[in-house]
Amino acid sequence: MGIPKRKTDIQIYKGKQLTERRQELLEKITKSDSYLPDSVLHDDLDSGMLDFIKKNFVVISDGEQIPVIPKILTIQRWAQIMNTWEFSDDDGNLKVPFVGVIRRPDVQPGTNPSVTRTIPDRLQFHYASVATWNGTQMGADVYKIPQPVAVDITFEVTIVCTKLRELNRFNKIVLQKFASRQAYTIVKGHYIPIIMDKVEDNSPIDQIDGRRFYMQTYQFTMLGFLIDQDEFEVKPAVSRFFLMNEFAKNTNFQKKYINKRIDITIATFKADGLQTAFSVGESISMLFNVAINGLLQERDVDFFHIAGTSKITFASPPLEGSTITITYFKGRNSVFIDSYGKTLQVSTEYFTYNGSTLIFTLLNSIDSIVSLDINGLIEEEGQGFDVESSTQVKLNFSPISGSKVGVTYVY
Amino acid sequence: MENKLPITRMSKFFSEEDFSLQIQIGQEYLHGDLNMKLVLYRVDRQKTDKDDVYGEVGKDEIKYFPPIEFNALVKVEEAKNSSYKGGMLRYLEPGNLLLSVYIKHLEELGIDIRYGDYIGYPESEEKIRFYTVTNDGRVTSDNKHHLFGFKPYYRTITCAIAQEQEFRGV
Repeated sequence: MGIPKRKTDIQIYKGKQLTERRQELLEKITKSDSYLPDSVLHDDLDSGMLDFIKKNFVVISDGEQIPVIPKILTIQRWAQIMNTWEFSDDDGNLKVPFVGVIRRPDVQPGTNPSVTRTIPDRLQFHYASVATWNGTQMGADVYKIPQPVAVDITFEVTIVCTKLRELNRFNKIVLQKFASRQAYTIVKGHYIPIIMDKVEDNSPIDQIDGRRFYMQTYQFTMLGFLIDQDEFEVKPAVSRFFLMNEFAKNTNFQKKYINKRIDITIATFKADGLQTAFSVGESISMLFNVAINGLLQERDVDFFHIAGTSKITFASPPLEGSTITITYFKGRNSVFIDSYGKTLQVSTEYFTYNGSTLIFTLLNSIDSIVSLDINGLIEEEGQGFDVESSTQVKLNFSPISGSKVGVTYVY
Repeated sequence: MENKLPITRMSKFFSEEDFSLQIQIGQEYLHGDLNMKLVLYRVDRQKTDKDDVYGEVGKDEIKYFPPIEFNALVKVEEAKNSSYKGGMLRYLEPGNLLLSVYIKHLEELGIDIRYGDYIGYPESEEKIRFYTVTNDGRVTSDNKHHLFGFKPYYRTITCAIAQEQEFRGV
């Protein structure tokens, strides 16, 4: 009756599962505090294979472990002596038995299933967004990495020994490990599959008058992938600006848009005293207004804009240090519609106050007032002016005679 | 063979006395002048504890009879630069040991050298190199091993280097 087998590696504490496990795996590949995975290059994969062999292919013979040469053998002659001196005899020859690992120099394009479907041109893909704060400005950095490059690396693990029993033990261990075709090694937190290709016997047992020994080679293919930190990109995302506008009469700058959620963009530039053209970098579908230091500018007088383009061109360069604000709805072919599906348009009309009537009649029926300004200074609805009727606005005070009144509205 | 058959060939020119004289002269030169000495470790095939299936033994498990010193003409072949795996895992394979030993000498010592026995050759004061017999040269029917076609008088024994794991004379 055999000795009862006892299980000695019972896991008392359950490992992490599902999302927590995924997070745990993620943390393992980003150990170096950079939010990005560490590089996995050829030497890392080779090192992972060596670790795998040293850890798993442990064969005891005559009470001693058959040594594994702890380095990948290369063609540099001095290096082999350095790497094998502790296993050498008086002649400097390797003492039999031993296990050596040779990597074929030719690394082939990979077949790792996780990166088999390749995307051409080494495109960068979003990996993470990380908040930043430089002391005055809050923003975010976008981390991008390209797809890993799959590589197949062939390793030949050779055991040289003098006894068939040693071969048997080694063979048993290898076949048990690769009973399900492939095994895994961990390289910088990544699980890298290894496939066993074949076993070859190269024993020179036909040397009747020479030294005889067993030599068998197990060929493995590592389905690795390369991740190169030098290819990573970190780019700042859109920063958020806190813009303050100062206006006369202690009124706040307010814009009133239609009661529908739309994406209104405010582009801000700093004038250098020379530049006249400013581009927002995208097509302007509807231009609401252009202001210099809070003073609204008159289209086709102070500035020019061709519908659908991105550029605002001033008649003369704004003064150096001036803040230019362009408020617009983007998109070349975007359509601006109200809650009922009606297509809306924006119009700006100018009137000159002649000292008599405070009521100004517009050409179109007002859907929503965007802004009303007197000589460029914006007035607040309810204080500076009121909408009198569907086509009329009325000033609540008398400006200086000859003042220019601009009304921008949606109709 | 129970009955001995006297060799009478070439008796007009070469007799048993001549044969003995020739060997005596040769031994004087080899044993006396050259004095090439080696040590024979005859494996005790009965007492050596071997594996049931393969008949293999572990390290230092070979049992052998008391070592015997003997004389022979020694030729050591040149070591060969070799590698285990296509240029990788290089090693220097020591050359074979070729011995020419008088049959009479072995008879006087009462020993035989057999395939698989071990031979120690003192290469220097500090180092004995051990070899295993790969060809014990027991068949001496060829002309080379005969003295003038009369009778065989020596054996040529070929030995290959012994692995340290296999035998190291302890």
